[in-house]
Amino acid sequence: MADKPMAIAKTQLFTENQVLRQILGICSSLAVTNSMNNSLVMGLGLSFVTALSSLTLSAMREIIPHRVRMLVQTLVIAVYVIFVDLFLQAFLPDISKQLGPYVGLIITNCIIMGRAEAYAQKNPPIPAMFDGLFAGLGYTGVLLIVALIREVLGFGTIFGINVNVIGFQTWTIMIMPPAAFFIIGSLIWALSARAQKKAAGGAK
Amino acid sequence: MKKGHIYTLVFMVVLSAVLVFALAAAYEAFKPNIAANQRLKEERAVLYAFGLDQGLEDREVHDTFTRLIKEGEAKGKQVYVYEEEGQVKGYAFPFEGAALWGGLSGYLGVTADLGQTTGLVFTKQNETPGLGGRIDETWYKEQFRGLPLHQDTTLRYGQQADYQLDTITGATQTSAAVLRTVNQLLHDVILAQEVK
Repeated sequence: MADKPMAIAKTQLFTENQVLRQILGICSSLAVTNSMNNSLVMGLGLSFVTALSSLTLSAMREIIPHRVRMLVQTLVIAVYVIFVDLFLQAFLPDISKQLGPYVGLIITNCIIMGRAEAYAQKNPPIPAMFDGLFAGLGYTGVLLIVALIREVLGFGTIFGINVNVIGFQTWTIMIMPPAAFFIIGSLIWALSARAQKKAAGGAK
Repeated sequence: MKKGHIYTLVFMVVLSAVLVFALAAAYEAFKPNIAANQRLKEERAVLYAFGLDQGLEDREVHDTFTRLIKEGEAKGKQVYVYEEEGQVKGYAFPFEGAALWGGLSGYLGVTADLGQTTGLVFTKQNETPGLGGRIDETWYKEQFRGLPLHQDTTLRYGQQADYQLDTITGATQTSAAVLRTVNQLLHDVILAQEVK
């Protein structure tokens, strides 16, 4: 099994990116990607939760009764998410206010439970943690790319800093969730096309 | 390892207890910070409603607030009273309403004679970022400073006889909700005739 951190990183960041290849975590990708700030904090929050919940669940994998494993997963994930929420409220109140309900909704992000089910319950803690961490960072990367496109075209800013020097009329549609649909859709298409080409090339 | 019902039950109870304990500890640790942030936000909002928050650093907000603002009563409501040198300069009336996605609350500042608004501020809103969420932008809120109030004032968007209010493009529902809430406060509380 390819369990070296580098191999996990490559898989999770590119070839099996959770958002673009597994099509998981789409809900929040649509919702928070109209600003890069929010996307970054959301992505880091998710990476933290995925890494630590995978670590915890993997460490307990021998003692978790199989039939209640999903209950346990949700419980552990919820605890870390509430921790992130409290942390944001205490130290980053402005971002906490802007992200609002989306922080709590990290709990239901399919990526976390996906990694817990697909990887953490069968692998040792350290690789599981890396797997979770890089899955989260892969998600963060996609969010930032989408947010860059949306924020520049929708607000004329990058990380809230005005870059709209030519007086470009910003597009309201970019701020609304539909914009993320076609940006993410295009990215999924690009990555799939590349993967198919590679597969076809390898077969020859 | 074969795991029976009892094991499952005990496992869940123990795990829940451990995790809840950990969370409670984290909450206790963060509590002072969270409370301080909320108080700061509230105090800054009230100062904004009176136009007193310009250029104030976070640490100056609390001092200014305690110096100028008192809790009091006006029109039978709990309000914040702005007093300078023993003279009442204005009141900040709290309001709550429903906007497009969720609750909307904040303060409307008015002068002591209830003849003018001094400012509008929101302490809670869940409107679409970039659209309805723009009610939190300065240009929108600044429009609500110095609006003349008469016995039968109902605020409207557009060019009016003695003021002008602009709505937010692409956020018609939220813009309307703000005026609905503010007008309700005006009619039911601030400009309401005293019933003897």
